[in-house]
Amino acid sequence: MTTGFTDLEQLERQAFRRFYDDGIFDLYVGAMLVVMGIGALISDRMDNEPLTMIAILGMGLVVTIPLLLARRSLLRTRLGTFEPGPERRRRIAGTRLVLLGSVVLGVVAFGIAAAVYKSGTGADTLAALLPVLWFANTVIVFGAAAYFLDVPRFYAVGVIAGTAMPLLIWPDLLWDYQIHPVLSFGIPGAVICSIGVFKLRGFLERYPVPGSDRG
Amino acid sequence: MIHEPARLAIMTNLYVVDNANATYLLQQTGLTWGNLGSHLARLEDAGYVAIKKGYHGKKPETTVALTTTGRNALVEYRDRLITALAPVATDG
Repeated sequence: MTTGFTDLEQLERQAFRRFYDDGIFDLYVGAMLVVMGIGALISDRMDNEPLTMIAILGMGLVVTIPLLLARRSLLRTRLGTFEPGPERRRRIAGTRLVLLGSVVLGVVAFGIAAAVYKSGTGADTLAALLPVLWFANTVIVFGAAAYFLDVPRFYAVGVIAGTAMPLLIWPDLLWDYQIHPVLSFGIPGAVICSIGVFKLRGFLERYPVPGSDRG
Repeated sequence: MIHEPARLAIMTNLYVVDNANATYLLQQTGLTWGNLGSHLARLEDAGYVAIKKGYHGKKPETTVALTTTGRNALVEYRDRLITALAPVATDG
C-alpha cells in the first residue's frame, strides 16, 4: 500500500508526474523534429512549396493523431483520471500562458527575420542570431513546461531540441561545413525519441492494466 | 475512521485533487479492488466522500470526491494528531 509519502504537496506532485512517465510527449517532440528535417529534404527535392507544406502537414498528423490516441488510452486504463486541484490548475494555466507567449514571440521573430532577409541587409547577422533565438525559445518553452508541470526531464528535452538550429547554421557559417536539416533536426529528434521509448517501456512495466472498474 | 491506513491513504489522495476515478485511487493507494470498494463504502457512509457511478463510453466508471465534511474531518484529524504528538520529545 502506498502510504510512504512525506507531505501532501509531494503526494500530489508524484501523482501528477506519473502522467508524464509514459514518454509519449517525448516521442511526439522527437518525431516532430524528425518531421521538420524530412520536410526540409522534401522541400529540396520537390521545389514546390504548397506540396511540401501538404507533405509536412500530413506527416505531422500521422505523428500526432496516433500518439494522442495512444496517450489517452494508456493513461486512462493504467493510471485512471482525476481533476486537478486549484494549485495544479494554476500551474497548468501558467504553462499555457508561457506557451502562448512563446508562439507570439516566435511569430514576431519570424516576421522580423523575413523582413530583414527580404531587405538583403544584415542577412549574415540574422543567420548567426537565428540559432540563438531558436535555442533560447526552445529552452524557455520546455523549461516552463518542466517547472509548471513538475517534470524535470523536460529541461533536458528542451536543451536537446534547442540544438537543432545551431547544428544547422553554425557549422556552415563558421567552418563552411553543411549539415543537412535531416541530420541537424533528425539527430536531436532521434535522441528525444529514444528517451520517449525508454520511458514508455518503463511505464508499461511499472503500471500494468489494473483490471476493470466494476462500477 | 480516518486513522485506518487504507482510508487515510484514500482521503489524502482525494484531498489534493478535485475528484478522481477509482483506477486512479487504486494506483495511488496500491489497494485491491475489493479493499478499495469496502473502504470507499465506509467513507461514503460517514459522509466523507461522494461516489458517482457512470460510464465512460461503454465501460463503467466510478468517480470519487471528498465532501466538505470529509475535508474538514481530515483537517481535524491532522490537528488532533499534532496536539497528541506535541509532548513527544524532538531530540534524543
